[in-house]
Amino acid sequence: MDQKEQSSSDSCPICLSPILQESYLDQCFHKFCYNCILQWAKFVPSRHSSQQSFVKCPLCKRKSSSIIYEYDGNSFQQHLIHQNSETSDFFTRAHKYRLQCYYVESGNAIDNINIMRYWKSYKYRQPNQWLYSWVSREIQALLQEKDVDIIVHHILGVIDSWRRNEQKGCKISPELKQEEFKRIVADAAKPFLRGRTDRFVNELEMFVASALNIEAYDKVYINHLGWKIPEINDGDDEELEDHDPLVPLLSFSDEDIDGTL
Amino acid sequence: MQASRARLFKEYKEVQREKVADPDIQLVCDDSNIFKWTALIKGPSETPYEGGVFQLAFSVPEQYPLQPPQVRFLTKIFHPNVHFKTGEICLDILKNAWSPAWTLQSVCRAIIALMAHPEPDSPLNCDSGNLLRSGDVRGFQSMAKMYTRLAAMPKKG
Repeated sequence: MDQKEQSSSDSCPICLSPILQESYLDQCFHKFCYNCILQWAKFVPSRHSSQQSFVKCPLCKRKSSSIIYEYDGNSFQQHLIHQNSETSDFFTRAHKYRLQCYYVESGNAIDNINIMRYWKSYKYRQPNQWLYSWVSREIQALLQEKDVDIIVHHILGVIDSWRRNEQKGCKISPELKQEEFKRIVADAAKPFLRGRTDRFVNELEMFVASALNIEAYDKVYINHLGWKIPEINDGDDEELEDHDPLVPLLSFSDEDIDGTL
Repeated sequence: MQASRARLFKEYKEVQREKVADPDIQLVCDDSNIFKWTALIKGPSETPYEGGVFQLAFSVPEQYPLQPPQVRFLTKIFHPNVHFKTGEICLDILKNAWSPAWTLQSVCRAIIALMAHPEPDSPLNCDSGNLLRSGDVRGFQSMAKMYTRLAAMPKKG
């Protein structure tokens, strides 16, 4: 009997085999293989006409809205059941477009954005006023979660303190500066974004280097990808509407900077 | 397809192991097709089905265990939730309330429980349902017992 109980606690109730990629439902914490429970979550709504934002636990029938997986003692991943961008209140079309960007090869740089000039001209010394909203939206899109303030504060805090320390001097080449910046942002973001960290850092660098506000940046970006997304910022997309029209940051030429140093 | 096959194979092994554990259920897999099973279940005691042995036919879909198996009685049975002619069973867990955590074995247990506790309000066999709904428990029991004798018990001599 003991033996039987043991074996059943280690096997997945869906495939009856030992659990692969241990996953839990967020309400009852019943344990399944990731693929098994994901398949079940996808299969059930396909039988009903209405889309559901939860999965019923095969064991206890409690409704969970996400699958928790890759738990390693400190962090975990979460798969939301049927993430529906039309109905969920925070996940706007803009979020969806940003998430989609991460499924596209980063490819070549956007024409109008010169990243090296950003570093060579010390533009990074200027705080970017849209960074908070941008990072916020980016993290929301990537994690598909609404409340990401802590993560955003963390990342921006790291960037701010890096900028403050930078201004105290210590002359190193723009290339090293860039490297350093990307490293500290990656370190700050990695626990949350994991595999997407490097891409996120590149996207963030591109955004700050563009010196554009979010709305303008999105237009440039979408244009670059050649996507046809008519007005991603219409409707109830407040986050984007709040921003001022295109106002480029003050731009310094290399001579200006050299003169002041 | 592969997943359902693997899962059915697991169940097959489990059944071999548990055969002694549940004397009321005997599940047998078709020799050549793992998607076809038959089961012999004993009529629960203190019911009109007591003493009878009922045969069930399972047809397992490729999407199993996401989809429930199709089960029907091969043995004639007089029960409000079983179609008298086709043997079709009206049981929620075989339809909307299905969960992939059910197994063929546990489905058999659920069917035994349904035999002991008919649901006359969702009848597939109206005559049987009406007897119970009108309160004629004796009438229902004697009909059910008669069909158990006729169809589910080995002929004597």
